[in-house]
Amino acid sequence: MGASDLDRQIEQLKRCEPLTEAEVKALCLKAMEILIEESNVQRVDAPVTICGDIHGQFYDMKELFKVGGDCPKTNYLFLGDFVDRGFYSVETFLLLLALKVRYPDRITLIRGNHESRQITQVYGFYDECLRKYGSVNVWRYCTDIFDYLSSICFFSLSALIENKIFSVHGGLSPAITTLDQIRVIDRKQEVPHDGAMCDLLWSDPEDTVDGWGLSPRGAGFLFGGNVVSSFNHSNNIDYICRAHQLVMEGYKWMFNSKIVTVWSAPNYCYRCGNIAAILELDENLNKQFRVFEAAPHESRGVPAKRPAPDYFL
Amino acid sequence: MASAAAWEGPTAAELKTAGAEVIPGGVRVKGWVIQSHKGPILNAASLQRFEDELQTTHLPEMVFGESFLSLQHTQTGIKFHFNALDALKAWKKEALPPVEVPAAAKWKFRSKPSDQVILDYDYTFTTPYCGSDAVVVNSGTPQTSLDGCGTLCWEDTNDRIDIVALSAKEPILFYDEVILYEDELADNGISFLTVRVRVMPTGWFLLLRFWLRVDGVLMRLRDTRLHCLFGNGDGAKPVVLRECCWREATFATLSAKGYPSDSAAYADPNLIAHKLPIVTQKTQKLKNPT
Repeated sequence: MGASDLDRQIEQLKRCEPLTEAEVKALCLKAMEILIEESNVQRVDAPVTICGDIHGQFYDMKELFKVGGDCPKTNYLFLGDFVDRGFYSVETFLLLLALKVRYPDRITLIRGNHESRQITQVYGFYDECLRKYGSVNVWRYCTDIFDYLSSICFFSLSALIENKIFSVHGGLSPAITTLDQIRVIDRKQEVPHDGAMCDLLWSDPEDTVDGWGLSPRGAGFLFGGNVVSSFNHSNNIDYICRAHQLVMEGYKWMFNSKIVTVWSAPNYCYRCGNIAAILELDENLNKQFRVFEAAPHESRGVPAKRPAPDYFL
Repeated sequence: MASAAAWEGPTAAELKTAGAEVIPGGVRVKGWVIQSHKGPILNAASLQRFEDELQTTHLPEMVFGESFLSLQHTQTGIKFHFNALDALKAWKKEALPPVEVPAAAKWKFRSKPSDQVILDYDYTFTTPYCGSDAVVVNSGTPQTSLDGCGTLCWEDTNDRIDIVALSAKEPILFYDEVILYEDELADNGISFLTVRVRVMPTGWFLLLRFWLRVDGVLMRLRDTRLHCLFGNGDGAKPVVLRECCWREATFATLSAKGYPSDSAAYADPNLIAHKLPIVTQKTQKLKNPT
């Protein structure tokens, strides 16, 4: 697959036109070769722009690129959850993947909890692939990158920016106190559904505990301010940047600026009315949050309409 | 929720025949003022206000705190109001024990940090809320009650909401659906509370629905239906019936009956409601304030 082929595919995807099944297969295979070489704690250089959850909101991701600049001119780090919930998971994921293959050093994609065979079957990506392609092949090619034979994860689990900012989709794990412990997680062996790898993708910071909390669901860790302080201190990092939780303002600091949540899906699920944010770091790691709203309705190709009345009973 | 055909609203002729008038966010008909409002999820400041008022830091991730549906009868002062804050007060009061997700079984074998705290609030946000009612006296200050008999009184009745009459395709003068709150249960299912209303020449009908699906564990549906018949003549007192119907089933019992056990089969509560056994059901009639 040459650069000119890829450039054509990227242009096509930017118009929200999906690729053919054969093109998806080739793209996914190429992406696997690149992704498998990346570290569990992928090194990222500044300047870089950090983006949170996208969830298939393709036209809103185009707004993100308008605000943040095009790849490769801007160096991007996406914190996972590219798919599910929104209407355009296929186009969103393939565009990010095509950019990764074309400019591997200018875009970093790490894994979110929705990059999973199991989760995508419930929350939209599977159904969307079936609807758009008439078969589940495209879903299979894409989810092979998430968890090939339900064990190999091609995506990196976290990123470290200039050794100072740790980035991950969900949060910390009680099984992990040092970055080296993440580096030695075997992405080709570990079962993704419990253990340290799962925590990195799923856990949340929690105000009401200092140490560790267990979710009332009986699964899922919550971590408090003390956990973050000691993790940052032991690993000599300034702060943690994560995604995973919706925030109305697009970003939210917690625990005296030791952790920040960045959320990049404006008007989440097309009804929340929230603002989205990306975090721009310059070469000296100076921060600037850029906020943006959802794409105007007209640009999505569907007219605004009021709900049709329904003789519900 | 979204539907294919666009709706242009009622025609001028339909409104005129019914004696109805379009007002901002709603309709005025037969002495009723019916209005809805849809706002965004809570921002940080309003979230703080909700947390203070409810005395909890655990709220659904999407609380549409400004959204509401309101139906007020000018002459009698009867007012029905549906909003997230009151619904969450009722959730806090009911305080059901948490439901364990399937992953919890494996989790028990994980090594735990020594300082672990187990949170035990009802993360499903199950609420017995069936609307807030009040009698608005002339001064304009409503006296509210959360549920049961406060300023408005409900009495049990053998009457039933007339589903056949409601199935007639009367013109719809006003229609809306308002989401009050929603939570994705950290990708373990779905929990939401919505209210839908349709106003017709003969009366209005609304459905307040709490829907919960904890993947692999259980489904819970709590429906409250209110039907108001306008009656004839200006002095006619409105007749309002309220039916509460709670249904619940575990995935285990459904699969034992031969129904599917994957969550994808239970995306739309409309389609599966009848498969869920009824837990409680009662119909009440509004006693008109004197």
